[in-house]
This record gives sequence, C-alpha cells and structure tokens, in this order.
Amino acid sequence: MPDTKKRRQLLEGLKSLLDAQYILSTQEQLKPFECDGLSVYRELPLVAVLPGSTAEVQAIIMLCHDLAVPLVTRGAGTGLSAGARPHPEGLLLVLTRLSKILDINPKTMTARLEPGVRNLAISEAAAEHCLFYAPDPSSQIACSIGGNIAENAGGVHCLKYGLTVHNILRLKGFSMTGEEVVIGAEGLDSAGFNLQSLIIGSEGMLMVITEITVNLLPKPQHTEVLLAAFDDIATAGQAVSNIIAAGLIPAGLEMMDNNAICAAEDYAHAGYPRDAAAILLIEIDGSTTNVEEQLKIMREVLNNSGLTALKIARDDNERALFWKGRKSAFPAVGRISPDYYCMDGTIPRKALPEVLGFITALSDEYGFLVANVFHAGDGNLHPLILFDANVPGQLESVEEMGGRILEKCIEVGGTITGEHGVGLEKIRQMPLQFTDLEISQFHAVKMAFDPDDLLNPGKNIPMLKHCQEYRALSRNLEPNRLLTQHKTVE
Amino acid sequence: MQDSVHILQQQVTQAFNDQKPLSIVGGNSKNFYGNPLDAQTIQTTCHTGIIEHEPTELVITARAGTPLSEIEQALAAHHQTLAFEPPYFSSEATVGGMISAGLSGPARPYRASVQDAVLGCTILNGKGEVLRFGGKVMKNVAGYDVSRLMVGSLGCLGIILDVTLKVIPETTAEATFIFKMKPNQCPAFMNELRHQGYPVSASCHFEGELLVRFSGGNNEIESLNKSLGTNYAYIDTRQLHDSGFWLDLKEHSLPFFSLDKEDADLSLWRLSVAADTDVSSLIDAQTNFISEWGNCVYWFKSNSQSELIFNTAKNIGGSASVFKTNNDAVTNRFQPLSAVVSNWHKELKNAFDPVDILNRGKMYVEF
Ligand SMILES: Cc1cc2nc3c(=O)[nH]c(=O)nc-3n(C[C@H](O)[C@H](O)[C@H](O)COP(=O)(O)OP(=O)(O)OC[C@H]3O[C@@H](n4cnc5c(N)ncnc54)[C@H](O)[C@@H]3O)c2cc1C
Repeated sequence: MPDTKKRRQLLEGLKSLLDAQYILSTQEQLKPFECDGLSVYRELPLVAVLPGSTAEVQAIIMLCHDLAVPLVTRGAGTGLSAGARPHPEGLLLVLTRLSKILDINPKTMTARLEPGVRNLAISEAAAEHCLFYAPDPSSQIACSIGGNIAENAGGVHCLKYGLTVHNILRLKGFSMTGEEVVIGAEGLDSAGFNLQSLIIGSEGMLMVITEITVNLLPKPQHTEVLLAAFDDIATAGQAVSNIIAAGLIPAGLEMMDNNAICAAEDYAHAGYPRDAAAILLIEIDGSTTNVEEQLKIMREVLNNSGLTALKIARDDNERALFWKGRKSAFPAVGRISPDYYCMDGTIPRKALPEVLGFITALSDEYGFLVANVFHAGDGNLHPLILFDANVPGQLESVEEMGGRILEKCIEVGGTITGEHGVGLEKIRQMPLQFTDLEISQFHAVKMAFDPDDLLNPGKNIPMLKHCQEYRALSRNLEPNRLLTQHKTVE
Repeated sequence: MQDSVHILQQQVTQAFNDQKPLSIVGGNSKNFYGNPLDAQTIQTTCHTGIIEHEPTELVITARAGTPLSEIEQALAAHHQTLAFEPPYFSSEATVGGMISAGLSGPARPYRASVQDAVLGCTILNGKGEVLRFGGKVMKNVAGYDVSRLMVGSLGCLGIILDVTLKVIPETTAEATFIFKMKPNQCPAFMNELRHQGYPVSASCHFEGELLVRFSGGNNEIESLNKSLGTNYAYIDTRQLHDSGFWLDLKEHSLPFFSLDKEDADLSLWRLSVAADTDVSSLIDAQTNFISEWGNCVYWFKSNSQSELIFNTAKNIGGSASVFKTNNDAVTNRFQPLSAVVSNWHKELKNAFDPVDILNRGKMYVEF
C-alpha cells in the first residue's frame, strides 16, 4: 500500500466517522474486494469502508469530495462488467451492511429497501402478502437491489414484467457533494425531467443510492412452465419469433443450447433432455382461465414450429426444478471449465439464427467451446466462452472473440450490453455503437451530476481520445456506417 | 413520408449561432401544457413517416412529425397497440409531442407508461447535433439512458427526430363494470381484484362510482359477469356497455374537464400521489373531482394560488401540476423541485442546450 499523504488524510478522516472494524486498509483486508464477478479486472483501492447507516454514507461521501478522492460504490460484487472494480487511488464504499427491508406496504404494493437488500430477499419478504418483486436476475440469491438499480438488471421474467427500470418508484441517496436527493415519488410520476430513468443503469456514476422504493406485483393465480426440445438451434430460434408473432407474451422465454443443457443437467438434475440441440423454457401465468387460453395457443404454435418433445411441469416442484437448471447455468458451466467469459449482447429476435450461426463459426475458428444460455424472448444473448486463463494468450483470444460477437450484435441492429453494463469490460466497444458526438453528450451528462468526475471514474463511457484507437482495433467499424445502415432500412 | 433532418438541423444551428430561442411545435395538440412561449416556432410536422415496423419484433420506429393516428392504425392492422394509451387532445397529435409531453392514458398503472415503452430515439440537441441513443432491442444498457430522459422533458433538452417504441399485442376482449363505493374504499378493492387475478386494465372513480375496465382473453372476459357477481355480491355492481367512457376520460372530453371561462383564474389541476394517501387536505368531499390510476392521480379545479396547492401536495408526499389554465400569466405550473434536483436540471439543460434556445422556460421559468 503506498503511504501517500492523501491516503493518510483519508484514513484519518474516516476514523472519526465510523468504527475501526469497518475501515479496511491492509492488503489482506482489501484482497476480497479487488474485483467483482468479472475477476480478470483487479485492483486494490486505497481503502474500503462498510458504513452501517445512511448518515455514515453521507459523511464518507463528503470526506471524499473534500479530499477529491474517487469513490466507487459496491453492492454485492456480482457485476459482470467490472463496474465495481475499485479505483487504485480511491475509496470503495461497500453497502452490504445496509440490508434492511424498511417497509412492505401491501396497500400500495410497494417495498422500501436499503441498497444492500438481496434481490431474492424482497420477494421472500413480500410473499407473506402474496406479492413479489418481478425483476429476477439469475444472481438473485446474492446481488443487491442497489447493484440492480445501477445496472438496470434484468431477469428471466422481464419479457412480461419489465426490467429494473420498469419496477422502481423512488430513489433516495446522495450526490457526490453529499447532498441528500430524492428522485421519483411514491405515486406514479413526479415533477421535472425523468431523472430516474437516467440514473437507473448509470453504473454508480451519477449518485450513490441509499434507499429504493420498488413496485410489487400480486402473485399470479396460475402458472405453467413448458420445456420444449428441438433438434436444431435455428429452429428453436424461429419458434421464439413464432410465439411472439402469435400475440403471446410469456412471463419467461429462455433458451439453452446443448452445451448449456448438459452442464445444467449435470449440476441441477432438472430433467432436461441431454440429446436436444436446444430447449426453450416457457412460463405462462395469469388467471386460471387466461392461462388455459394461452396454453392452447402456445401448444399450437410449438407444434407448428418443429419441436421434438414437449414437457409441461406437473407441479410447483417441477416448475422450480426447470427454472433451477436455467438459473444455475453459469455456475454449472463454471464446473466444466476453468474459466468462462460471459457476453451480453442483445439483438432483434429475428436475427437469432444468424447470430447463433456466427457464434458457432467463431467457436470453431478460435477453438473455444461456447455454451449458449439466454433470454430468448428479449433477444438478450449470453454466450459463455469456455477457456483457461492460466494458459498464456487464451484470455486475449477470448476477449477478441467476444469483441467480434459484440460487433456482430451491433451489425444486426442490436447492442453490446443488454443487462450487465459496460463497466470497464465493454468500454472498447462503446465507440462502435456510438459516435464521438454521442459520447461527448454522455460526458456532458456525467459532468452535470458530478463535475469533478469522482464517482466511479473511467467506467461506462470511453475517453474521446481513445475512441478512434478502439475503432481502428476493431477493423474500422464506424458507427457512422452503422447509422447509414439504419437509414437504408427506411 | 418525408425525411427533413437537414432542414431541422439547419434551423437549430442557425438559432444556436444567433442565440435565438425556438418554440418546438408538432401537431399543436398539447400546446396548452406547460408555460406559453414567445419564440420563433420550429415545426416537426415536415419530418414524418414510419421508418420501421416489425410486427414479430413488437417494435415500431417513426419520425417525430408522424401523426399518432397513423402509428395506431399501422399497429392495429397487426392487432398491436401502444401499451400506455396516449391521449391525443386533437387529431393532429404527433409522435414527437407524445414523447415530449410524456402523458400516459388510463392503462398506465396496469400496463406501462410512455417511458416504459421507449427503446431508443434520435434527437437534435441545442447545438444542432444529431444524436442517437438507445436502440430497437428490448434491453440495452450501453451508456446513459438518454432516450427515456426525453420523455416528459417538454422539448427542453432536444428536438426528438424519431423514436423507437415497444408495442404490445391487443387483447381480444374487454369489459367495464361499475361498482358503487366511496373513493377511500377503492384502493383496497382494486388490490383485491388484482390479487384475485382479474385482468384490470383501467380504473376511475367518478361521481360516487368506481369504474373498472378488464382486458383479456375471450373466455376470461365472458366469465367476469358471473365471477364478479359471486365474489362481490355485497357491492352494487353493473356492467357498462358503452366503452366510450375511457376514450372520453383519456381525451378529457367529459364535461368535468372543461374550464368555465367566467373564472379567469380557474385551472385544471392534476395531483399525483401514492394510492393510500389521504388527500382530504387538498380535495374535500364537496369538491368535484375525478381520480384514476387506482387512486394515484386526482383531477380537480381550483382558482387558489399555485404555491398553496404545491405546499399541500408536498405535505402529503405528492406532486401537483397545473394541467391547463384560463390564466396565461400563471408561470409556475409544475411542482417546485428541491435545490439539488433543480440544480441537476439546470446543469442537464446546459449539457444538452448550452445557449438555452430549446423551449426556454416551458417547464420551469429558470431554464
Ligand atoms: C452467476 C451470475 C448470474 C447473473 N445473472 C444476471 C441476470 O440474469 N441479469 C442481470 O441483469 N445480471 C446478472 N448478473 C450480473 C449482476 O448480478 C447484476 O449486474 C447485479 O445487478 C449486480 O448487483 P451487485 O449488488 O452485485 O452490484 P455490484 O457488482 O457490487 O455493482 C455493480 C455496479 O453497481 C454500482 N452500485 C452498486 N450499488 C450501488 C448503489 N447503492 N448506488 C450506486 N451505485 C451502486 C457499482 O458501482 C457498480 O458499478 C449475473 C451475475 C452472476 C455472477
């Protein structure tokens, strides 16, 4: 640890703000916080603190502001884009101790939460009132609602119920100057610009969030989960489009390819067919009559889409089991390979067969196995590229291959990230999706909230001076060209 | 169908160079909303047409000047619709105005708001730069979510050039039932209906009665009469066979919404609160009012000073706005912002429109 003057001042200041046990400053203490879920990006902060109240959070922010120390907020650290990777000259603000469910109001169907509350804990607590919180990332056992806000997290039920941004009423927290801010309201709208949508998904770069009011939904009266198997991945992709074209909006519509099916089956024993090239997991919910009506149409569509087998979960246990396989797909793949790299591009649904074909070709070209597991209904891909970081050169090759997948996503009209965020990981691909003018506008937005650039600096938006460089590295794929492509569709 | 980006861009660049304010006008259907402007107009109605509609993607992209009616017709041809039921207020209403005003209709609490449906947009900022944010896919977290920020910004941050919206399939059947009950009984009853799995798609309390619209599959809607009758036999219930009520409510064509011109200070107010809020300090039993969105929105008329109403609204945790008024001199139409938030607004305005030419003072006079 460099014993700089700033570090000494910071530690000195912190001592009077919180209990010594919650100030971590030795290398040993800081090691567990050096990265988030994307462990290839590591850095030790000057200091990490674990405040136990919003008043402490405020005081810490003010201290950082006064000393001009960069501040990175961390929730549960499950992020997959290095968004919460510490700043080497900064403070890491860990919010896991702020984990109280402040209030569940069945009358307004809302919950008021501290930022460290785990995603799953919300639905568990709301169950008493037959309510649930809809956005359910696969990491929901661990990830925090604060992190969900910062990333605009999605989940397997977002096709019907929306992303984090669709389920939030109000945010409270602090600006980088330490002033208290309330954004949104407990009603359905509030005065002024729609700052809430801007802050959700802003990767902790505009403010620190310390209280969240979420919308809860009544548990559906009836639910059915279907498992449809296909002997060809493109056919499964087409089935997804057919379902939507039939006017159905399932609560969940997920797809896994054979590599993912086998890994998940070995891990969770969910009853997936190992011989299928792809499966679709489909959840339908609503009133009993409505589910019957939907189920009838769904069966027709699937039968006409070339499926090879269809299972309908018999009871709640089997429904949970079908989902367990899907939700544990990442750790399941983690067991069969020393490392995996998870991509997050999103594409128009109709491009699924094309992009999946492209990924298969890349897998052959680079010699890395790919397991595909994704939110098919939303067109949000998660190809997991299997590799071994201990073999020199493999990480670099995987990053290159991943970059090419993201470029393909942009080419077909999609985006480099659907839910995991840009963080540090995808900052090189930002100039492929956005022009320099757009990137400058993003910087201007950041300056409006945090003129000294102290909140999570260096993430999400690339420096303009690097943009041309990144574009050159990526075979000169200019965003302008992409825009022209957009125009020719007209 | 006409692409006029260059014409609009020229006009903004000129105004930027001359530092001359512009008043952005689409179909002029919602001009009453927000402060009146005294500036040269810039017309978006020259920039029209549906750029892309992919029914199987549930996505439509259209230029700002496209009439809203054209969008809804194109969607209806594929049995699709906009989830948030935007009000028109005139047949000339455009897509750009819909985004900029950010107003949603009766289905809002049960389906979506305008911003919920926005996936991406292209804007002209106050420097005349053409910028595209978001995209045409369902999920997209690259960069800051500027496209949703445009919703309800009343043209203060940029001129919307085109917008991409998520659409939904139309439901096949619909029915409205009327329940006799007091306003304060509504929130609990609405919760009960939703817990029971009834497909509620709109609600409104008006003249001592709660009107609830249900939308869903044919069998589901057909069975309503029987099941509501059985489950809620204790409530005086009847079916409303004229579905025009919801259109009249959305378009403010119910007589309630018209302002008596005799009273030069009269305004139509909109109050937004949490569903369980006691609003009696602002709206007493004698006042004629309409509540909708499951008691989250109240409409009432008043000629009181704006400050008075804003303060009371704040005390009950809500926010109020002058929706329309007989008195053009009223310039504080929206709930005042806290100091930090107001400062963020000014800085954001400056980030998008550094010489302050776009709809200056339309929302708050300070910017
Ligand atoms: C196995 C696995 C499965 C996953 N599945 C999904 C999935 O299905 N869908 C999905 O969307 N994501 C998924 N993720 C990614 C990750 O879980 C989400 O991005 C999650 O929202 C991160 O929450 P966190 O609490 O771990 O945040 P962290 O990783 O701690 O932080 C993420 C970002 O949020 C900021 N931040 C955190 N708290 C605050 C706060 N209170 N105020 C301001 N900024 C804050 C941080 O600075 C950082 O930029 C998965 C991850 C793993 C490991």
